[in-house]
Amino acid sequence: MSARPDIETSALLAGLKVLVVEDSTTMRDLVVALLNSMGIADVTCAEDGDAGLEYFAHATPDLVITDGMMSPMTGYAMTSAIRALSDDTATGDYKRSDVPVLMLSGHSEPDIVRWARDEGVTDYIVKPVSPALFYERVLAAISNPTHIVETATFRGPSPRRTLPVHEV
Amino acid sequence: MSTAHQPPVAARFVRLPSIAERKLGPDYSAPIRLDPRVLNQMQATIKTLGKQYVDTLGRQVHELLPMIADACSGDLAMRSKFYEIIHDVRGLAGTFGHPIVGKFAKALCNYMQDHMTIDATIVRFHVEAMRDALADAAADDRIADDTLQSLELLIRTTADARSPALKRPAR
Repeated sequence: MSARPDIETSALLAGLKVLVVEDSTTMRDLVVALLNSMGIADVTCAEDGDAGLEYFAHATPDLVITDGMMSPMTGYAMTSAIRALSDDTATGDYKRSDVPVLMLSGHSEPDIVRWARDEGVTDYIVKPVSPALFYERVLAAISNPTHIVETATFRGPSPRRTLPVHEV
Repeated sequence: MSTAHQPPVAARFVRLPSIAERKLGPDYSAPIRLDPRVLNQMQATIKTLGKQYVDTLGRQVHELLPMIADACSGDLAMRSKFYEIIHDVRGLAGTFGHPIVGKFAKALCNYMQDHMTIDATIVRFHVEAMRDALADAAADDRIADDTLQSLELLIRTTADARSPALKRPAR
């Protein structure tokens, strides 16, 4: 790999706006610290899905990183609500509601992972996280194109896809 | 029932450009490897936070022991508070170099998710195993695995109903 893509990647990471939704203070601090170490400084935190959604109503993050089980609103419900948002500011095919959602969850049970998939989660990491896995999945979230399905009543990642589960 | 005569749903499949493509243009070549300098920085961050976390973990495990009786007595608020701490440990201990503590926390989380009523002895054994693993960071993985197997056997011999508490809600 030449030096140029590394420079471009650094600039890309430095310009990213990330929303972190997590109810555990220690986990939230960890995720923010890891993002900062990657050169991502513009990180906003919310303590649950409601707070995340409220932020999302007024801002346009490039990436959402969320926990699953939170109260009162879970990360699953928040993701579903984001996917259902109407968007008047769409440019081209991309809409705000298409934002990649990376879920960090303590649960690897197939039923819970299917739940995440059905609500529109883009990628799924099972806690505990390692720096290498976290870094790899954030890079994947920003560098991989997204494929979505759009019908008269649905828009989002295909609910028939397999959501890969990444685990240390 | 046959679906042969139902009209097909009109669907559009869309490839959305990546964040990188949208910000840097379609010629952007995606990063294909992790930058070792960034990774080193992230590992240093974990090391720094880990020094603080070990105190938090010790405090959490210490807090759990006196909560066991109330958490197992049917006090839902106490059970929920207890589960919150265990769940936190499950998600974080492994990241900060205490994978065995995390394994015991995961086993206890699973037990609490799957059982409507929880047995104080089983819970205490898990918490004590976490405490012992924390006290002996160099503990042998095989001993931990043997202990986990013994705990699983103990759970299996305790008949109980499954709890729907953490199951996916019906749509």
